[in-house]
Amino acid sequence: MATETTKNEQKEAQGNAKKDNLQNIDYKMISFTLAGKDYGINILRVKEIRKAGNFTFVPNTPAFVLGVDNLRGDIIPIIDLRIMFNLPAPKKAENELENIIILRLDELIIGIVVDTIEKVVGINSSTIQPPHPIFGDINIKYISGVVENQGKLYILLDANRIFEQEKDEPSSTSPAASMDEPEEEKPHLSQDVAPKTNEEEININFILETLATFANFHVTKLNERWIVDHYSDWQKKRSQSKKSVQLESKEDAEALLQGFFSRFNNQVWPPSYAHGLVDKLDIQGNGPIQVWNPGCGSGVETYSLLMALKTKFPKRQIKVFANDNDLLSISNAPNLSLPDPSGYPEWADYVVKGKNGYSLKTELKNLILFEFHDIAHMNPFYGLDLIVARDVLSFLKESQQVKVMEDFHEKLKKGGSLVLGDHEVAVDYSLWNIIEEDGYRLFRKN
Amino acid sequence: MRVEYINPFVEAAYNILSEVLGTEIIRGNLFLKSSSRSVMGVAAIVGLAGEVEGRVLFDMKKDTALKIASVMNMEELTQIDDLVKATITELANMITAQAVTKLHELGFRFDLTPPALITGENMEVSDQEVEALIVPMECEHGNLEINVAIRERG
Repeated sequence: MATETTKNEQKEAQGNAKKDNLQNIDYKMISFTLAGKDYGINILRVKEIRKAGNFTFVPNTPAFVLGVDNLRGDIIPIIDLRIMFNLPAPKKAENELENIIILRLDELIIGIVVDTIEKVVGINSSTIQPPHPIFGDINIKYISGVVENQGKLYILLDANRIFEQEKDEPSSTSPAASMDEPEEEKPHLSQDVAPKTNEEEININFILETLATFANFHVTKLNERWIVDHYSDWQKKRSQSKKSVQLESKEDAEALLQGFFSRFNNQVWPPSYAHGLVDKLDIQGNGPIQVWNPGCGSGVETYSLLMALKTKFPKRQIKVFANDNDLLSISNAPNLSLPDPSGYPEWADYVVKGKNGYSLKTELKNLILFEFHDIAHMNPFYGLDLIVARDVLSFLKESQQVKVMEDFHEKLKKGGSLVLGDHEVAVDYSLWNIIEEDGYRLFRKN
Repeated sequence: MRVEYINPFVEAAYNILSEVLGTEIIRGNLFLKSSSRSVMGVAAIVGLAGEVEGRVLFDMKKDTALKIASVMNMEELTQIDDLVKATITELANMITAQAVTKLHELGFRFDLTPPALITGENMEVSDQEVEALIVPMECEHGNLEINVAIRERG
């Protein structure tokens, strides 16, 4: 991952960006604050952003060297820019984490501690003005220029100079870092899907962050394959419509995620799809069949699933726990009206016509318990035969995804099945037996 | 929490508060909470039993409690005395009772336990096994939070 960025590559990257972008943004920087003032640093120098604390102190180093930190196996020095530039640095509590920007220059990696990390700012490099010699706060040798963007003045720091200051300090060891450890709440791609070029990787990494901001969609091992596979399509689509490949609004994020959602999302499942899924289940015995459908949304998914289960197991008792954390959708779920069943004659037996259109028969509805519930909280279910959680985990933070996956495993009976979204996979293969047939993917508890 | 339970509590709280306070009540956005939550100062708690198990907690600051009790008793009260405590307890009882009546009409059987009133500083409430629905209400006397934690009897 730590590939060398040469000056040429950099120019090339900037040149390409220019062609793609009408607004002529050819320079991107990460903006951050130090003592209340805005600063920027060239994005091509930034390897990643993270939060960390409790650094290992190294004796006999300048005061601004906070120590060393373990970045997924790489030992990197951490310096505090505020101390380095003689700015006030608020004292942190012992376990409080610092905001860190990890910078990369060739093989060297260091982490700089700043007050807050704001966002990515795109500017035109011709608007960067040289620093004036009377700049006070920060020694001028670290400043490469000043730029104005949307009413804010950013002081651009020269990352190379910071490295120069730093080069006598302990530097990173081997670049062959293990990328397998999940990083705290920061989206990143794992080694096996990471793209080849630096520019692409940086672009994708920023898409990942903006996806989390705009759509609350967290890219992890669960779903990263889809994002990487669709990145080039997205790039093409955006350059055709002369828009930046980066996401600039909620709408952009939604447009990118179009196609991520599973088949028949938010509509009645065609009987063939629903029956095919139920046929793959391994449901034994004759006790009640217990199903959990988190993230059921409007409830139409729950209804479809129940109709298929009822067809396959007409004599068995069935109980479905359906929940969602969207109050509006879930409040309407018990009284949801269904479309005219003439399109699906196999479902017609389960549907009745009322004043407000078609709805599920009451005796079937009574088998479903709709709850306003956040899956990230305590989940009170146990002994389940089936969990259907399509496109739910992707909208949880990485740590929550891990916790909920553990919950799923714990709540299922042995041999019980988990259905995730069409573009989501269970990560821990030792716990799950993957059944992939006829376009269905089920995870069966070992 | 079962979706059918949500509206009766929100409506009952809104109706009773508007009626006894005679002022405009603004309902905040409902949300779920599973970890512990700090209690503002005066908390009335009503237990629920029957087909479900759980409790409803009415939480407000001391001065909000004083102002609400003053309005309800039509006299100026300045200290958390027995009258104020009885008034807030009664308010909790009225809201829960109306909610339970509405739920009864929908076919859910709930029983109430006598309310208890807790006052003090720096308290928190935590429900280990059930997430709480928080219904924030605002009026000119201050904020009031209704914290409903109910689960089906398993």
